[in-house]
Amino acid sequence: MMISSIRPALAVGAALLAAVLILFFGNRIKANLREAITLTAAVIMTGLIFSMIPGVLEGNIYVSKMWTIVDGIDLTLKTDGAGMVFACIASFLWILTSIYSIGYVRGHHEKNQTGYFAAFAACLASAAGIALAANLITFFIFYEMLTLATYPLVAHYRDDKAKASGRKYLAYTLISGQLFFAAIVWVYVKYGTLDFVAGGFIEPGSMEAGVMCLLFFMMIVGGAVKAGVMPLHGWLPSAMVAPTPVSALLHAVAVVKAGAFCVLRVICYVFGPESASWCGGAPVLSWFAVITILLSSLVAMRQDNLKARLAFSTVGQLSYIVLGISLLSPYSITGALFHIVAHAFLKITLFMSAGAIFVNTGLSEISTMGGLVKKMPVTSVCFTAASLGIAGLPLMAGFVSKFNILEGALMVSKPFAMVVLVAAAILALSYLMPVVRIFFGKETSVVSENGHHVSKYAVTAMVVPLALTAVIAIILGFVPNAGPHLYDMAQMAAEAITEEGGVYLAG
Amino acid sequence: MIKLLEHLPVLVILFPLCATLLCPLISHFKPSFGKKVVMTGLFLSVVCAVTQLWQVVSTGEALHYYLGGWKPPFGIEFVIDGLNGIIVVLVAVISWITSLFSSPFEKLEREEGNFRSAGYYSMLSFLALGLLGMASTGDAFNLYVFMEITAISGYGLIAIGEEKGPIAAFRYLLTGTIGASMYLLGVGFLYAATGTLNMADLAAAMPELVDSPLIILSVGCLIVGFGIKMALFPLHGWQPAAHSYAHPAADPMIAGIMIKVPAYAMLRFFFCIFSESSAVMEVFFDAVGVMAVFGVLFGSLKALRYTTYNKILAYSSIGQVGYIAMGFAIGNFYGLIGAVLHIVSHAFMKSGLFYTSGALKYKFGIHETTELGQVYRDMPMTGMTMTVCALSMIGLPPFAGFFSKWYLAIGAIENGQYGFVVVLILSSLLSAIYFFRVMEKLFMDKKTASERTDTVQPKGKLELPWQLIVPMIVVVCAVILLGLFNSYIVGDVLEPTIREVVLA
Repeated sequence: MMISSIRPALAVGAALLAAVLILFFGNRIKANLREAITLTAAVIMTGLIFSMIPGVLEGNIYVSKMWTIVDGIDLTLKTDGAGMVFACIASFLWILTSIYSIGYVRGHHEKNQTGYFAAFAACLASAAGIALAANLITFFIFYEMLTLATYPLVAHYRDDKAKASGRKYLAYTLISGQLFFAAIVWVYVKYGTLDFVAGGFIEPGSMEAGVMCLLFFMMIVGGAVKAGVMPLHGWLPSAMVAPTPVSALLHAVAVVKAGAFCVLRVICYVFGPESASWCGGAPVLSWFAVITILLSSLVAMRQDNLKARLAFSTVGQLSYIVLGISLLSPYSITGALFHIVAHAFLKITLFMSAGAIFVNTGLSEISTMGGLVKKMPVTSVCFTAASLGIAGLPLMAGFVSKFNILEGALMVSKPFAMVVLVAAAILALSYLMPVVRIFFGKETSVVSENGHHVSKYAVTAMVVPLALTAVIAIILGFVPNAGPHLYDMAQMAAEAITEEGGVYLAG
Repeated sequence: MIKLLEHLPVLVILFPLCATLLCPLISHFKPSFGKKVVMTGLFLSVVCAVTQLWQVVSTGEALHYYLGGWKPPFGIEFVIDGLNGIIVVLVAVISWITSLFSSPFEKLEREEGNFRSAGYYSMLSFLALGLLGMASTGDAFNLYVFMEITAISGYGLIAIGEEKGPIAAFRYLLTGTIGASMYLLGVGFLYAATGTLNMADLAAAMPELVDSPLIILSVGCLIVGFGIKMALFPLHGWQPAAHSYAHPAADPMIAGIMIKVPAYAMLRFFFCIFSESSAVMEVFFDAVGVMAVFGVLFGSLKALRYTTYNKILAYSSIGQVGYIAMGFAIGNFYGLIGAVLHIVSHAFMKSGLFYTSGALKYKFGIHETTELGQVYRDMPMTGMTMTVCALSMIGLPPFAGFFSKWYLAIGAIENGQYGFVVVLILSSLLSAIYFFRVMEKLFMDKKTASERTDTVQPKGKLELPWQLIVPMIVVVCAVILLGLFNSYIVGDVLEPTIREVVLA
């Protein structure tokens, strides 16, 4: 049942308002007050979104129809299952990353903190907007806002390296964004609607297959760039120059997930599984995803910089989601959606650990981190747990999603995808476990020497969130439905998309 | 009061006219008072323009005003409908805020003793008068008169600008005269063929004459004439110098609306007089389409080559005028909506960027983008205006520039002109390169000019005098609101006119 409600709009509005307030007044008020704005907005947004969960689980959809944004189309937000999954984790993790950010920027004495927190809030507002957008134009507006809001974060340090990665980021995202734009206009002129419909509104056969495939990839490229599907992943490792909480945000919460979510919306809500497979777009995309999964793991193994290794791991993990979606079976879509959740908690733990290590000890290269467990026991343990989760070990959140994707692959009889999934799990172990071994291994002199003074308060602000995310990741592994029933929502969304039980990829 | 309302179309231009004439006189007795007269005149003009637009929208009918009560074909007729009503409001608002913007410059330069404030303000309000008249009139010859008024005051404002101003003005004078003459020739041919100068009568007479050689000749002349005035590639030669070296206080108006009103006039002339399906219009669509495509690409590529802020903006205008012309060349409902929306939004964006250029010159004497390092710390409002306007120029949502691009793209795809979409995308990306380059300098470069001294403004609470801040706030709000609420302008104001009058 559709319920007209102001709550989705308020949730996005709260974050936007926070961004504006921080931008205008951030330098004139005390830092604590400025951070209070961030946290208040994060809590309000999370509260609003979580308050809609019971209704959504009953099958209701809350719709905020705001005003006509272009001739004939309204700016509309709505809470369908898929959107709620993304909105829930984005808003909840905003609270945690904010707390962590406060510890990080103060422990690390970052400059330009006001701009930083404003851009952070704008990113989250856009992410929530992307999650809840009910049509392509609303989606695109927030999608481009996300690009803009992320740019200052990527280029935060303002040196030559940061500038270069900022440019790279813009080049990738703006070019793909423009193609996406052209494709949206094309769809609108051709089909006269831009509303997301579970199962899509483009009929197979309504265009020539080749032309539809072109349209498909013009749209997908918008998502694939942000999701880091190879060969469009180049910006992601360079964006590592940003402060670590930004990397956490980029890699776990907002940007890459927005990309994956874009792929989901395009394939499942615009084209629909039938057209996506009919025009040949989805099978091709699944191959790209498979190659990305394998290649990125191999590249990750060779990185000594911890953040770079994690970045390539993200590239691979995001392609799991893309693969899950492009397999077009209900299980794999459930798995893909749940992997948005699982990977968010796991990867954010890993990144927050990397940041905490960096602020505490000044270390960023893996080979220098020997014996870290003595100095940072909680962080090391959480890192280990999250690593196992990323590899998809049973009883961790990563297992639930990957098993579903596997099942989906089995259902559409794609044995090759299954082999890849298993191989990738082993590869993930092989690039993350060495890190763990070094943590628990012999103490190198570097660790003990390099530690500089960081206030206790900053350390706590960093360690508590990362421990929390690790614990949640484990809980979700045992009980995928714990808390806000994210697994149910993912399943609901997947069922709505593939109503006919669809096996679209035979052959 | 009711009586007064009937006279709105002429009041809009009467106030600036009175101000133009009174300003030198009053300045002679009390030097600081002349500018107030102009500001008041232009403000009243804004009030009238808004009231008249409101009247047109609420009644749904065009206002016809006969000057001196003489009906056409003997007298001059002003016609205000949704389309030019909004252009009149645009011109009036930007003129008024520009007169406000000029005030600190006037004060500064008067103290230095090399500025005739009376002359400057007279020309400014004369320019406004010309542009308002061009937008309001329904008479082809009267349009020429206003076009010349615009040009003459424009020459003056460019010539009193920077060092190279006089040369730029002279160049514009030569080219501009050719443009105006071509227009006059075109109108002359039309008059010879039809015997009337009223646009509505011309339109009525046109179907029988449509393929006569005289008409085709006149179309050619008109395209060149308007093309020169709106700086459409390859007729843009005068524009970069004129926009770069004009007086920094008047530049927002010169760059923002002086090339837009001829663009509007072109739309009105071609679409209202020649019917859309005639053979003449085919020529028009092809010619303008080619000019637009090359203009868009040329302007954007050329802008990449400069580091002088004003030059970048000037060449970017050539590209942006190409967008407008592209809308004409698309020629369907959404194409025209895109073009008109772009006239309005680009006017705000470009004047906004020239406001920031003026402010930078005023406060620190900055001309080059290489000197911009970290300026935003000293001038946050200027930095924000630059950012918002630049993002809008690139065409990123939710700013106004995105939505005009949206309508243009819809129009182009509806017509199957996919090439235009490719050009739109390319030009967005090119403008992203040069504008992000500027923003990178603004926000990320090290402060290069450590000796950058702020001699002008004693350390006060505001970064600039309030007269410089207000125009920027107006522009930023306009760019954001025009973007978010464009559908109301499209649906309530433009759609009836464009469907019934322009594409009838």
